[in-house]
Amino acid sequence: MAVRRSYTATVERNVRWAGEFATEPYEAAWASEAIFFVRALDVAPGFSGTAVVQISADGIHWADEGASFDLPTTKDQATFCKVSHFGGWLRIRGALPGSESITVLVSLALKE
Amino acid sequence: MSAHLADLRLSRFDPLERVIFYDDFDEGIRGWSELIGNYEHTLDSMLPEYSDMRPPMLSNLTMWDTGTAGSMEGDYALKLASRARAGSLATSIKRLTFRKRGHIQLECYFTFKPEASELRLSVNDVRAFGLLFDLQDGMNPEYRWMPHLRYHNAQDGQMINRWQVKGATRAFANIGDSGETVSHFHLGPENWEYLDAPAQTLAYNEIATKMNWHYLKVNVDLAERRFLGFQCNDLIYEGEPLKYISIPAMPNLNCMLNTAFWVETNRDKRAFLYLDSVLLSGEF
Repeated sequence: MAVRRSYTATVERNVRWAGEFATEPYEAAWASEAIFFVRALDVAPGFSGTAVVQISADGIHWADEGASFDLPTTKDQATFCKVSHFGGWLRIRGALPGSESITVLVSLALKE
Repeated sequence: MSAHLADLRLSRFDPLERVIFYDDFDEGIRGWSELIGNYEHTLDSMLPEYSDMRPPMLSNLTMWDTGTAGSMEGDYALKLASRARAGSLATSIKRLTFRKRGHIQLECYFTFKPEASELRLSVNDVRAFGLLFDLQDGMNPEYRWMPHLRYHNAQDGQMINRWQVKGATRAFANIGDSGETVSHFHLGPENWEYLDAPAQTLAYNEIATKMNWHYLKVNVDLAERRFLGFQCNDLIYEGEPLKYISIPAMPNLNCMLNTAFWVETNRDKRAFLYLDSVLLSGEF
């Protein structure tokens, strides 16, 4: 029996986001579905923020895919965003206002 | 004729007696994972050099100007991508153990390029790439030993195009507070030594979106702990055995047979190493 291939990439680990942020470009042309998980490793009380999914034809020039999601607000909370029909490259990006920051672990779970 | 020569996928390799693994990345990621440093209690305890060695990915080599090239044989290659920060490394590892201390040989087809984010030659934007073995004896181990082979492509604005090995690592550091965990970073810029071999200019092919595949073969003798030599395209090194890092055996690494590749960027631009396929063979 052939099983569907899957792979989870840790695209950011123990990275602190402040101001504008974006994950590194990740190639996923082989996959047909993806979930970005963001887990808070450290976050201050009262934090709030959002990220948007971006897609790219070449890994260099990016366009908003249309999906957005809330970032976690408490330590070890995870939030996620499902994506499909995304072509070759994926990333998430966002901008945190003022002095807001969050330390994250971002997993990208891919499946054929 | 050897049986492998009649196999269309294997006839481009020269394996030893038995194949330990053959990874064609058209079939998936095949056990290659991101290298990470040791830690205790918190990720903050990791040596900073190990904190961000980037996850590998499957690439079909799609370029902004010409679209998809695919890999050497098929559609996908394993891709290592650094960050866009000078000195950033991406490192991927496959972890095995051996069952006999014999001769092993790693072969691969690879190519490397900077990210095609500028319309200029960019030939010296990748600093280096390399491969290493992380090995430890089996029963009653004496040594952990680590042959490293690095192609020093460029440094700052200068082309180098020479092969290097490394004979010493940094001092071990204690990690955490239990006394059970240590770590050492062995991919720093120090202690690389150029080989007594000619400079080798690997075909770059003029712009950042054209990739030519290269052949690499590396030979190691586990029994005698010898780093025997290597071949890259038409450059064959068969001189004196090469230097390697050697350290006393560690408590829980017996029979370790790890293989890793890495790529380093020379500028604030991503550097990419692509592997079409990797074959490890041995005498056992």
